[in-house]
Amino acid sequence: MAEQKKAKTKMSAAAKREQNWGYLMIAPTIIGLIILNLWPFVQTIYTSFCEHLGFGQYKFVGLQNYIEMFQDPEVWRATWNTIYFCILTVPLGLFLALLVAMLLNAKIKGKGVFRTIFFLPMVCAPAAVTMVWRWIFNADYGILNQILGTKINWVTDPNVVMIACAIVAIWSNIGYDAILLLAGLQNISKSYYEAASIDGASKITQFFHITLPMVSPTLFVVMIMRLMSSIKVYDLIYMMVEDTNPALTSVQSLMYLFYRQSFVAGSRGMGSAIVIWTVLLIGIVTVIQFVGQKKWVNYEV
Amino acid sequence: MNKIPRVLAAVLLVAMLLSLAGCGTSDGKTHLTFQIWDVGQRDGMQAMCDAYTANVNPNVEIEVQVTSWGEYWTKLEAAAESNTMADIFWMHSDQILYYSEFGMLADVTDLYDDEDPNFYQEHYSDISILNATGEDGRMYGVPKDKDNVVLVYNKSMFDAAGVSYPDETWTWDNLIDASQKIYDVTGKYGYMAYNDEQLGYHNFVYQNGGCILTEDKTQGGFDQQATRDAVKFYVDLQSYEWCPDQAYFAETSPGTAFLSGLGSMYLEGSWNLLSSMKNYPDIEGQWDVAVLPAAPNPVSGNGHATISNGLTYATAAHGKNLDICLDVLKYFGSEEAQRIQGESGAAIPAYMGLEDTWISAFDQFSYQLDLQAVMDQFDYAVQYVNNSARPKWKSNVVDIMTSIYNGSVDIDTGLDQIQNLINTETAKKLADK
Repeated sequence: MAEQKKAKTKMSAAAKREQNWGYLMIAPTIIGLIILNLWPFVQTIYTSFCEHLGFGQYKFVGLQNYIEMFQDPEVWRATWNTIYFCILTVPLGLFLALLVAMLLNAKIKGKGVFRTIFFLPMVCAPAAVTMVWRWIFNADYGILNQILGTKINWVTDPNVVMIACAIVAIWSNIGYDAILLLAGLQNISKSYYEAASIDGASKITQFFHITLPMVSPTLFVVMIMRLMSSIKVYDLIYMMVEDTNPALTSVQSLMYLFYRQSFVAGSRGMGSAIVIWTVLLIGIVTVIQFVGQKKWVNYEV
Repeated sequence: MNKIPRVLAAVLLVAMLLSLAGCGTSDGKTHLTFQIWDVGQRDGMQAMCDAYTANVNPNVEIEVQVTSWGEYWTKLEAAAESNTMADIFWMHSDQILYYSEFGMLADVTDLYDDEDPNFYQEHYSDISILNATGEDGRMYGVPKDKDNVVLVYNKSMFDAAGVSYPDETWTWDNLIDASQKIYDVTGKYGYMAYNDEQLGYHNFVYQNGGCILTEDKTQGGFDQQATRDAVKFYVDLQSYEWCPDQAYFAETSPGTAFLSGLGSMYLEGSWNLLSSMKNYPDIEGQWDVAVLPAAPNPVSGNGHATISNGLTYATAAHGKNLDICLDVLKYFGSEEAQRIQGESGAAIPAYMGLEDTWISAFDQFSYQLDLQAVMDQFDYAVQYVNNSARPKWKSNVVDIMTSIYNGSVDIDTGLDQIQNLINTETAKKLADK
């Protein structure tokens, strides 16, 4: 009994040393996370219950910010705008990215060049990308209307502006998503396709019964990432739509509203409440996805 | 194996220490930073700083840093919270009440008491001093410049349409007539009525005898008929075929449209004239400036008005180098420094009697703008609209104006909302005190 106990403590002393080393090794990351992510998040939660008086002085006001927020039609409009942006960009963006990935996976000449070209938007600064697109979209002098021979107010028509933003978003992300999906596609063994074609399966059948299930884990990851970043969309819309744009309310995302509340109007309490609301939204969407994935994501190879 | 990283680490450490030393005062001089937002004025500001080093205190060197207007206030506020503001910086009337209320700015009321207790009153106009004054009546900035809003017009288009150039006899009716004629003949836009406050409807409101804020600044003026009529007049301008709508301006600013030869008239601040001349040499001589057209039937006054603003030089209340900074501010407010500012063309010096130095900066061009128009307007200029609650209502008023313009809010309802907003926020602010 006594011997056993002794052995146990001896074991745990060694294990403990190892454990301490483990903590030491992850310390830089954990400390960074706590200081840069966790603590600001706690502060944001606190701030959302306060009114900002100025220069970092806060007055606790309880739930008032939340009550005002949910009564404000602008917030609901921004929430819908954010969801609408996701609906426009995520399914179509993923579909196009998969298509591009499959084309890049095919045996064609100059594959490397095409891969580079599709990846290029990811390398450019989002602000620069948006500036160029704004010129393209310009209603009176933009190249798009010149080519189409139309006079569509891409950036100022409340019904069109979101589509314009979605086009830019899809364009800038397609390459990155395609590269990730390409990696997934390349993991699929050729023998499946050989076997399928010997059995007489058409290319389309092969796509739905081999490619899609096999690439689904990658697709799932890409989808989660894309949805999160779409809900958090800010820089693109900020650059495309200035605050005197008559279509602002039709395109203002939650993060844009947060920026305007916190930094333009100076109501950081309200801004923080909007952030918390957005975090909740992301949480809900992510939970739904993880429940939903059981239906379509295939982890068995 | 272990030695190489250690040597590397040692080298890195030394390098880091050296670079740290570089930031310090290794040359025995005090290095100050001077934060501004207008890149066009960088050279003029630097010339003033160099003159300070040369003529006043050789042990102080000042470096001018430019941050864009959009980022400037976000940065400055964050820096103010952690007491790490630039040593000297520009202050704007929009923000000075907010900053001074929270004790962020050094009080400079008594800066010149050793020389002349009435220095400000003798050398600066009332508007300049008001733009530098906090709610408590103390001065928190040294007046830097003054400006006002002028009508910029394209001479070639006026000639083509056979319309005489704008002058001080012009009223709003002339503005409409000329716009229509120019549009009929040349197909170019007339007056471009942009949804803006300082460069837009605020001028028209005061011309009509209305006001945005009442005299004591405790109430909005949007319940007055003169104000409402002027705003309605201004908003209705965009229904004319010769005026682009706000959707157009969201993509092409009136200045860009004008300088590209697409429109014939717009309102511009005097601070932008020099850079327009410099950056668009191709159309030099084709455009000029005039005083703003007057209201034809003002409720009070003679129909003339223009919004005049002025920036100030300020320093933090608890800065590390407060004494030196105050000395620099004192120099910046002196005749010598204001003259350098004027001659560089940066802006019209706030110091009275030096206005001509700014005009002389335009001598470098072969075509002379009618800058006397800018000077004449100071006689009836109105101080830039401001009260301590403005940060709370400013962006919301812009939102309501945008809704009025895109038709989602009826103009009478919108103006009532604005009035309500200003009164509520101002009352809240006053009650907090």
